[in-house]
Amino acid sequence: MPEHDGLMRVFWPLDAPRTDSPGIIVGWRNSGLDVFVVAILEDVDARNVENALKIGTLFRNASHPIERIYQLCGQSSMHVLGLANTPEADVEPLQMHATTGPGLREPQISCARAATIQIIMFERPLPNRMQYISLDPISLALGDQAEKTVHAPGSVDAEEEKEEMRNKERKRALVEKLKLHTVIKHPRSQKELALSRIVNQINCSWELHKLLQQNISLVGTRSRRSLSVSERVVESATSMRDFVVMAILQLITVYIYPTVRRAFIIGLLGHRVAAEALLLVLEWRARPDYAALKDISATAQQVEIRLQQFCYWPMQYVTLRKRKDDWESVTTSHADYIRFYNSLWLVANDVIIGIALGSYIIDNSAWVAESISGVLSTYSIAALQRTISWLMDWPAGLKLNNELAAFLGDLFLWVIDHWSSCIETLRPALPHLIWFIGFSSFAGASMPIAVFSDLVSILTIHIYSFYMASARIFNWQYTILISLFQLFRGKKHNVLRKRIDSCDYDLDQLLLGTILFTLLFFLLPTVVVFYLTFACSRMAIICLKAILDTLLACLNHFPLFALMLRIKDSQRLPGGIRFELRDTQQFASPSDNALPTSYIYLKSVPLTFRAMFQQYFQLGHRIRNHYLSPRVLWCLATGQFVPPIHRKNLYSLQYSMLPARRAGIWDMWNALVKTPPKQKQKPSGWEGRANGNGRRLNGNGRRYMHH
Amino acid sequence: MLTTQPHLRTRRPSPTTVEYTVSTSPDLTLPLRLLLLTNFVLRTIIGLSVLLLLYSKFALSSFSSPIPTYPQPPAFFTTDYVWFLIHKITPSKPGLLAARLASHIPLVVLLPSSLLILYTILLRIHTTESLLVLRGLGIQTSTSSETYLSTATTRFIPTDKIQDILVNEAFRGFEVRYYLVVVVEGEEDVVVVFPRLLPRRQIVESVWRGARACLYEPHGGKDGGKG
Repeated sequence: MPEHDGLMRVFWPLDAPRTDSPGIIVGWRNSGLDVFVVAILEDVDARNVENALKIGTLFRNASHPIERIYQLCGQSSMHVLGLANTPEADVEPLQMHATTGPGLREPQISCARAATIQIIMFERPLPNRMQYISLDPISLALGDQAEKTVHAPGSVDAEEEKEEMRNKERKRALVEKLKLHTVIKHPRSQKELALSRIVNQINCSWELHKLLQQNISLVGTRSRRSLSVSERVVESATSMRDFVVMAILQLITVYIYPTVRRAFIIGLLGHRVAAEALLLVLEWRARPDYAALKDISATAQQVEIRLQQFCYWPMQYVTLRKRKDDWESVTTSHADYIRFYNSLWLVANDVIIGIALGSYIIDNSAWVAESISGVLSTYSIAALQRTISWLMDWPAGLKLNNELAAFLGDLFLWVIDHWSSCIETLRPALPHLIWFIGFSSFAGASMPIAVFSDLVSILTIHIYSFYMASARIFNWQYTILISLFQLFRGKKHNVLRKRIDSCDYDLDQLLLGTILFTLLFFLLPTVVVFYLTFACSRMAIICLKAILDTLLACLNHFPLFALMLRIKDSQRLPGGIRFELRDTQQFASPSDNALPTSYIYLKSVPLTFRAMFQQYFQLGHRIRNHYLSPRVLWCLATGQFVPPIHRKNLYSLQYSMLPARRAGIWDMWNALVKTPPKQKQKPSGWEGRANGNGRRLNGNGRRYMHH
Repeated sequence: MLTTQPHLRTRRPSPTTVEYTVSTSPDLTLPLRLLLLTNFVLRTIIGLSVLLLLYSKFALSSFSSPIPTYPQPPAFFTTDYVWFLIHKITPSKPGLLAARLASHIPLVVLLPSSLLILYTILLRIHTTESLLVLRGLGIQTSTSSETYLSTATTRFIPTDKIQDILVNEAFRGFEVRYYLVVVVEGEEDVVVVFPRLLPRRQIVESVWRGARACLYEPHGGKDGGKG
């Protein structure tokens, strides 16, 4: 025996009967004194039960192979663990005596080998409601490639990436150091290693219990009486009716169903081919490091996400169908189920909101177009013109250089004039455009938002170019000022050694440099003022687009289904387990020589709301890191170009619901066509059931279970 | 008076299971119970009056509609009963007072301050943190939540994930605190036991000794030094 301390651990289901009638305790024995109670069988003999467990009589009529349960639970067979409410009967030393009763809330257990006892009471999760427990929180995102998208090094974010990697490396070294503190490595006992198996045993326990209770009559020695004549008549009449129904059903399943199914599959496949073609267009890059269409435009991105979802759904559905071919206790696909229905629900929601929005926009397209063009001309043209004229005329009492301000201002004003005339020629087309946006929103409310986001970037392109130009001018002036300042001090920047060296300049060099320095220094405020104006308007546009992107993220990714599940049945979203130590004083039995026993309740912890919105926190963190870092402030201050956050980073949230590599057309065809064998089993299943009915006449029927 | 220094309570129903609870709540005596009861009643009254004030502000605005009148009191567990109560309270003395106050305080001041008050009365008086050690299973830390709205946060660490349990020291403000940490395998951050209370060294040390003795089977040899 590996256990030295005589600790007996008993997992006891809370719904075990609380009667004082004798029974046989059946369950798993994980190791010597580590047992898991599945059921208490009443009115049977212990030896019969042991035999029945060995032969498998108790597992007859199982809907799925029982070996699967054995494999999940990590055991090769179930055992009789002890007796309930028969204190006088003899048991083997490892078996236990349990006392239950209507008055006792917890069972009292004794065992010859045990010195102390832990009784862990658990509530069986109901597999037909998809409840389960798990040690780790359920992952709502498709975990494997979320990591990859985060770390895909955008050339723009290379520095951030490097910094992050460095931090991680430092932390990892610290963790390595922490390991050195551990002096003694404790060997793991069998009880400690059994925990993951026990979680599976808990998840399987409800179905197993049901099966055992169904078959309990097979163990007993009850004899079957033969059917009476009237019962036989009823039996044959029902089987006749069954036969007719079966024949009709067979007709449908053999002839009509496959045709419809095949047509549907071909339709799906045609859709898939079209999607593939469009996706190829959207993802096409002239060169590997160039931006694809989906990286530039929000609309393209949105279309791409939808198409990817349409490509993924059939695969997802096929995997979910496979769930039916296994025990309901198998919990591996529950997260998939939530993801699938979440994305379906979100798309449905999106379309519903989109229809409302679209019909409103189409009905009022003239008014909407009018107000949009009004807003555009007010803010992106008239307001800008006024600001520039104000800047040319000593703004806020600031004495700028008149000539330079007039030059810069006139330059920008000419461009704005030209731009506004361009916009004027486009204005008649605006109602049509709005009508198009309204029409596109029948494909979901996310569509008009994405189109609007693109429209904003196109219609404010002049601000973007002004920002670029003024930033460039400012940056030149800044760098020239820096190097002239070194000259002024009699130093120079050594490029090779990356340091400041002393340098002997000639007199004319010094004189010219100093004059230039003063000149540029006095011109600096004028340039700064223009630069600041455009930088601010650029930031405002970035903020607007960030808001639109957040809206898109909400429409595309909001964990709506998970939230509803959390409210409706939080057991379906396990976030771990917790134990609760119960007070034992009040349950202490009057009998003196009871073993020291602790009663512990095992409960499932529902997923926290924070974990549900984890991805949003990540996104927020990433945006904050990108735009509020000192590096960006430095870029702003020195007039270097502030790179917009890479779309891939921003949208990793939405792609976390999709696999990194979509399944090809051929894979999809295979997956869809491979299912028919299981579907075609149906006719044979029906026959099987008909046979079963026929055989039931003979008395000992062997029925097939179907869901 | 309602709280004390963090002190340790131990529950050990069997030698292989032990729960250490560090709490700021003193032992319940009769005066203390009375005090807690008064506190509870006071909080309820303050909360209800804040709600009444908010309702009166709403009733003064243009969004409100007149309350339907009920000839006889409706059943208790219905929304009608709430309306009935409001209808009763509004013309009474506190109702009139609330209406007068609401008309004087601007919404910008009223809304944040009443939210703050509501949050304050929902704060728990005592902080309770516990460590449950189960041999063969693992250890579980638990921290009571800040408000009455949520339950305690727990974290269960299976034994095969526990690399070590140590007592560490750290600077906190101008003092040095000893604290108990659990080093979890494969995780970057250690788990601090009793993170909010950070009890004194004697407590931490006794919990450390007890937890190690309880968690591992005795054949493992002597305990290592502390980190």
